Amino acid sequence: MSLPSFKLLRPRNVEDALGFLHRYEKEGVQICAGGTDLLPSMKQRLFSPAYVMDIRGIEELTHIRVVPGLGVELGSLVKLSAIEDSGFIATHYPVLREAVMTVASPILRNMGTLGGNLCLDTRCLWYNQSLQWRKSCGYCIKKDGDLCHVAPGGKVCWAVFSGDSAAALLCLHAEIEIASPKGRRRIPLADLYTNIGDDRMRLGKSEILTRIFLPEASAGYSGVYRKLRLRGSIDYPLAGVAVAIRKKGKIIDDARVAITGVNPAPRLVKDATHALIGREMNEHAAMVVGELAARVAKPLTTSLLTPEYRREMIKVFAKQSASRATPSGPSIRD
Amino acid sequence: MSDFAIIGKPVALIDSAGKTTGQGKYTDDLSMPGMLIGKILHSPLPHARIKRINPTKAVKLEGVVSVVVGTDAPNKYGILPVGHDETALAVDKVRYVGDNVACVVATSESIAEQALELIDVEYEPLPAYFDPEEAMKAESDLIHDHRPHNIEKEYHHVFGDPGAGFAQADAIVEGRYVAGEVTHAAMEPHSTLAYFELDALTGEEGRLVVQSSTQVPYYLQHKLSIVLDKPMAQIRVIKPLVGGGFGGKSEIIPLEIIAAVAARKAKAPVKITYTREEVFWAHRGRPRTIIDLKTGVKRDGSLTAVAAKVIQDGGAYCSYGVVTILYSGALLGALYDIPNIQYDGFRVLTNKPACGAMRGHGTVNVRFAFESQLDELALKIGMDPYDIRKRNLLKPPCVTVNGLRVQSYGLPECIEKVVKASDWAARRAEYKQKYNGTVRRGLGLACSHYVSGAANSIIRSDMPHSTVNIKIERDGGVVVYTGASDIGQGSDTMVAQIAAEVLGCTLGRIKVIAADTDLTPVDIGSYSSRVTFMNGNATMRAAEDAKKKIIAAAARKMQCFEADVLMRDDWVWKQGTKPPWERTTTAGIAEVSGHVDGQVLRGSLQQKRKDEGPKDFMTFEEAAVSAMDFAGAVSGTGAYAPPKDARGGGHKGGGVGPSPAYSYSAQVVDAGVDTETGEVTVHKVWAAHDCGRALNPVAVEGQVIGSVWMGLGQALQEEFVWKDGLLMNPGMLEYKSPSAVESPEVVTFIVESIDPEGPFGAKEASEGSLAAVIPAVANAIFDATGMRLRESPFTPERVLSGIRKVMGLKKINMTNDVDPTEPHTLREHGGSLWFKGKGPQRHEMDPARKPALSREQ
Amino acid sequence: MKKELIELKVNGRRHELAIEPSKLLLDTLREDLGLTGSKRGCDDSSCGACAVLLDGTPMLACTMLAAAYQCDGGGNEVTTVEGVAEHGALAAIQKAYGDWGGSQCGYCTPGFMMTVKSLLDNNPEPTEEEIKRALSSNLCRCTGYTQMYEAVKAAIKAEQQGTNV
Repeated sequence: MSLPSFKLLRPRNVEDALGFLHRYEKEGVQICAGGTDLLPSMKQRLFSPAYVMDIRGIEELTHIRVVPGLGVELGSLVKLSAIEDSGFIATHYPVLREAVMTVASPILRNMGTLGGNLCLDTRCLWYNQSLQWRKSCGYCIKKDGDLCHVAPGGKVCWAVFSGDSAAALLCLHAEIEIASPKGRRRIPLADLYTNIGDDRMRLGKSEILTRIFLPEASAGYSGVYRKLRLRGSIDYPLAGVAVAIRKKGKIIDDARVAITGVNPAPRLVKDATHALIGREMNEHAAMVVGELAARVAKPLTTSLLTPEYRREMIKVFAKQSASRATPSGPSIRD
Repeated sequence: MSDFAIIGKPVALIDSAGKTTGQGKYTDDLSMPGMLIGKILHSPLPHARIKRINPTKAVKLEGVVSVVVGTDAPNKYGILPVGHDETALAVDKVRYVGDNVACVVATSESIAEQALELIDVEYEPLPAYFDPEEAMKAESDLIHDHRPHNIEKEYHHVFGDPGAGFAQADAIVEGRYVAGEVTHAAMEPHSTLAYFELDALTGEEGRLVVQSSTQVPYYLQHKLSIVLDKPMAQIRVIKPLVGGGFGGKSEIIPLEIIAAVAARKAKAPVKITYTREEVFWAHRGRPRTIIDLKTGVKRDGSLTAVAAKVIQDGGAYCSYGVVTILYSGALLGALYDIPNIQYDGFRVLTNKPACGAMRGHGTVNVRFAFESQLDELALKIGMDPYDIRKRNLLKPPCVTVNGLRVQSYGLPECIEKVVKASDWAARRAEYKQKYNGTVRRGLGLACSHYVSGAANSIIRSDMPHSTVNIKIERDGGVVVYTGASDIGQGSDTMVAQIAAEVLGCTLGRIKVIAADTDLTPVDIGSYSSRVTFMNGNATMRAAEDAKKKIIAAAARKMQCFEADVLMRDDWVWKQGTKPPWERTTTAGIAEVSGHVDGQVLRGSLQQKRKDEGPKDFMTFEEAAVSAMDFAGAVSGTGAYAPPKDARGGGHKGGGVGPSPAYSYSAQVVDAGVDTETGEVTVHKVWAAHDCGRALNPVAVEGQVIGSVWMGLGQALQEEFVWKDGLLMNPGMLEYKSPSAVESPEVVTFIVESIDPEGPFGAKEASEGSLAAVIPAVANAIFDATGMRLRESPFTPERVLSGIRKVMGLKKINMTNDVDPTEPHTLREHGGSLWFKGKGPQRHEMDPARKPALSREQ
Repeated sequence: MKKELIELKVNGRRHELAIEPSKLLLDTLREDLGLTGSKRGCDDSSCGACAVLLDGTPMLACTMLAAAYQCDGGGNEVTTVEGVAEHGALAAIQKAYGDWGGSQCGYCTPGFMMTVKSLLDNNPEPTEEEIKRALSSNLCRCTGYTQMYEAVKAAIKAEQQGTNV
């Protein structure tokens, strides 16, 4: 399969990149970081932009920087493998490392970037197919068509957000920086996502995700990420649960649970936090977490396994992860 | 020291360096001046009449050379003589989503892809059939007009007296088993490069040359001849390196014919390489299968009768279907001693890609059902799964009730090996005692077998199935010309080993020229695990033929009887004297022969040897040179045809199943089942395989592990996910062939039963071990959880659904309400049902109905 | 689309090429440089048969735009399977894959050569777990991976004994 024709832009810094986005906005520019999500989709003609802007050359976005008192700042072009290899992340933000290590495969993590993983296109078996294949189902609402096959007759797109790292970052209350010709703004990661399958992000056509911030307050949480997969490697999550917990003595001081792979956006299970703070972790508390997580999950027939099973696994994984993230001993900070 | 110099020694595949360095060429690696690229337009509809194809716009695109359509080559073909139902490109109808409609030939891939979008095709949609049991009810709108009720073929076999057998039984178990559809997913996508030579005498189109990723170059030559109306002698098929087959390249795949037709029309070399999606549409994999199985045993565990009704969802074309449905019945025999067998097999056409032959062809899904049911029976009569299998062993040499001749039979030893190595009884007891959280562990045992080639070839004749020629070079080099198709299993290496062993020369002397219809004599192909047995035997005979001439000359030189000439390791010596390598005085000889470089120095060598007078030993090279002195050219030829008494019973369909020899396998699987998630982890597999004699142990091990591993994929995670004829996962990303992460350790035991007719006693090694692992996993899951899964693959949702059921917990609803412990029908993917099983007409309620239809046209 | 002039450094040699900006590195290697060792096995960046090293790190050539990996800044050195053999002889890992059955049909082998080369270049004594993880980047359909572990271990041993130096 060949790629559709396009012109290649290779900015060296954020300013140039923004300039390109602005200049070619009408013709259409597709930002390409690692390319592991975009290029296969372009072969399938899900995207046929006039310009592809390869931003890997922007060196200012490739750092992992510890900012004392504030936390950690990650450039959006940090390779997933660099996060995996970072001792600092492993020690202080273990849930992120766990999640990143489940992404695709080692070789794809050498290519894929954190920013790219957060900006992943939403996925659906009726969408991530070749042009020829999509023709045979009459296309779908997300691309070239006007109906949804997973919710028959539906007019809303239910394609699923399928990034692993976002769930972990939601648990860490990560923030992101978005650069635009008007300047830079910083928003909670959660605010990036719309939960609409075919319009997944609040990222303007002339904007770039530049940085990810891990607050220092989130450091030291014990964390667990569990991914539902049929193969041990080279895949997107069929469901994913991230849990980050901080304890004081035996009591849970703070807890965050996020899910991915089952909705058009990664979602924080906010009720789980309320349900756990001030309590001890036990079988019952873990089960409550599971129930609450499952309540947020709205899987449909977008992927290989049945929606009911995937929702069930959100419940089971959340329960198991909550327990695993809360070892009976003292927590990391004690 | 073993009896053999080369046989039985682990040898690197002789083409392995080409593979590890990138030097070896596969078809898609080839190119030639003026070569064009072909791209195929596929049907978006599962069943439709083609009203009109208008390629005008496509032809006008700059860079497009021609557009090929069905009427350019309307002759029908198919791998089986009874199944000629395919054309290069659709002539009147399309029969599945992905069927071949037209082919664009252009100067580049991207231009060809663009041109595909410009071809205007008008279809008249027809009702389509996606479920075999539904398809069988059809009275009209048949997929092929000559196949009433969409039944490609049905067989009803009765051997012995099944009624009486069941009457004698103390326990009977009956159940429906359903196996999902799997495919080969060989790493190399199919590719074909075709071009015509111009004839010097006529100035017109001359010979056709086709290089293709195929397991069956001679069949390809034959079918090209049919479709292109060209004598086989005018067609040369060359098989470059092939990146895996597993049966997926064991018949003629559409692109192979299309490329040749396109080369003719474009008057230029054309290469077509499938995208991965096209590979999935070309398919020819293992069909979804419904097995209604009934088995009876006596209290002592002995089998009294088996009745099987098998329905295969064969897809839109016959392919190997008739053979598949026959194997499914025939291979109920030859593993255990079953006195009475009833078999009803239905190969059904549906509007889906054609199924064909896949590793373990025909036996795998039925074996899953049988070995599962055997454990159910054992439980019912309170017997250990190990004991019930031991109780029902064959007593060879024998002929089974359905006419299969069994001579060598290593199954008992296979079972003993894996039971001992896995510490079967103790480990099972231990697992019953201790649980680890939500995870239960269990062991499962199962057996399987496979043919070492079919005793009857597809095109019935008494001609040999394999012929091999050998040429001895003037410097003692040995060139073996074999039609055997190495597809990665190592047949070139096998041929080299056998030739070297027989000739008593070193492997370094052997050059193998393989699978080129111009150069190599006929071998019917690499399928049904026939190559080692049949081509190996032919190689042996060819080598013996050449050896005879060398020995005659050596005997004359050494002044001894021919029977007293020994050859090994590049030495030739007289019986009764010390082998040359044990002598102290060989230095001089080695020097003379060791430095002779081919024919230029041959004369002087000859002179020198003459001057030296008679000897009682010589080098291989000297012997070969002497043979040429006496006999002129030294060559050998050998052929193999299976013996008449191995060719099976005379009943209708009795030609499929018989084999000159069967391989045997027994396996124990150690699996953990998470009762909260349904995830199954296979920790270890002990696999014993009886391959007669292991000619190359490292290759045999590789084949056994590969089979077991591929079976694990089918057992746990691989399946075609269907929605109304749409394949939902046509790619490597979503078709989950296992990665290194979940692939367990496979401990192999090679059992050598030494077959009386196999080359050096060898039988097949590449397929027989696949089938056992699926029921072994099912049996291990039962051992761990008490839950019997009768629907494969055992994906976590199926497992959890079953566990919830036996534990009486909240139900997990599966699609179509199929209960994997008692499946009643085939399962489809959820989602929009706009085909409604009645053809591609959008459902009336479907809001996208009108715009979508207009877009298609 | 118009072709552009680009410069690639592959296996230590510089090449000037005119290619379309949309051309994949894999196609450029195979079609423009005749380096057909890297294979195409899928179209969805999953199988790993096209793996090459970029400055020593394994990446998928089917998911890289050739024009984006020019050797303009000094970096971006591409190594393909054709660059693995050493001084005209098989590298230890190549020999071991042959000897131990790590390669059957061989189509995935070039990809594995690159992953394993990178693994051993960066970590001469990997644990079993590390080998397994590295191998999980590539799909193989013949071997079930088991014999590859033997091959990798044999290659490590050979390197340590200097048999291939």
